[in-house]
Amino acid sequence: MRSRVLGLVALLVLVIAAVNALFVVPSDLNQGDAQRLMYVHVPSAWLAYLSFGVTALAGLGYLWKRDLRLDAVAVSAAEIGVMFTAFAIWAGMMWGQPVWGVFWQWEDPRLTTTALLLALYVGYLLFRRLTDDPHRRAARAAVVGLVSAVDIPIVHFSVEWWRGLHQTATFLSPDTILNPPAPVPFRIALMSMIAAFTLVWAWLMIRRYQLARADMELEERARRSRVAAARHVAIAATPAEEAGR
Amino acid sequence: MSDWGFVAAGWGVVLGGLGLYAVTLLRRLASARAALADATPAAGAVGEPARDTE
Repeated sequence: MRSRVLGLVALLVLVIAAVNALFVVPSDLNQGDAQRLMYVHVPSAWLAYLSFGVTALAGLGYLWKRDLRLDAVAVSAAEIGVMFTAFAIWAGMMWGQPVWGVFWQWEDPRLTTTALLLALYVGYLLFRRLTDDPHRRAARAAVVGLVSAVDIPIVHFSVEWWRGLHQTATFLSPDTILNPPAPVPFRIALMSMIAAFTLVWAWLMIRRYQLARADMELEERARRSRVAAARHVAIAATPAEEAGR
Repeated sequence: MSDWGFVAAGWGVVLGGLGLYAVTLLRRLASARAALADATPAAGAVGEPARDTE
């Protein structure tokens, strides 16, 4: 019931924030209407970071507590993170073509490290399918999730460390805290879209976690079923073996 | 393509993708819960193996 309310609130906030960002906030003086892509690009990138950070922390928690619920949190965040990373890349490409003149440039460190981030977590999801044992899978995935998380700060600070097409960080940059790069209506629109996307993310996380738990329960029942069936076969085979001797 | 064309392509894929993922997720969850409910009586039966839900 609570997650249903959260879903409705998230949808309402998203609609209001989207209408504001698309039709109310004025267009940028230099970039024109193409700048409106920032309002989906930045929230998607933020949620990619958040998701993969949660995957790493939940994996670390699993290695410490050996609780499969933490593995369910990790896989849920990873799947949702992959989706938001793909959205960030797509919206960035759509923004890049009218502003930079190219959809993509492999020489740009932000673009390349973000593509690597996507590949790492698609790999994380595929890696989980290599074994049926839930604890072995959770432990191996936790290690992969932790190693992959090293790329998160590299993606974020790549624009500060190396030169490329991409602008410097919108948030968490000392320069932009003292000298805001955008007028107040732009910043309000961006913050409201980030809030709306974060609410949607929270709702998706709850639902995906519920699915992961249900899948684990089904997997456990199927395993018990196979063990019980094997015992039946063993018991049924015993008299025949005895008669044959 | 105009600026609005790129905006429509960017926003459309992101919001459309979010909606599609949400609907698919709800369907996957409903399917998993139905399989769990289906498997429950068999799993509780004494001496009988639970039905394989895979």
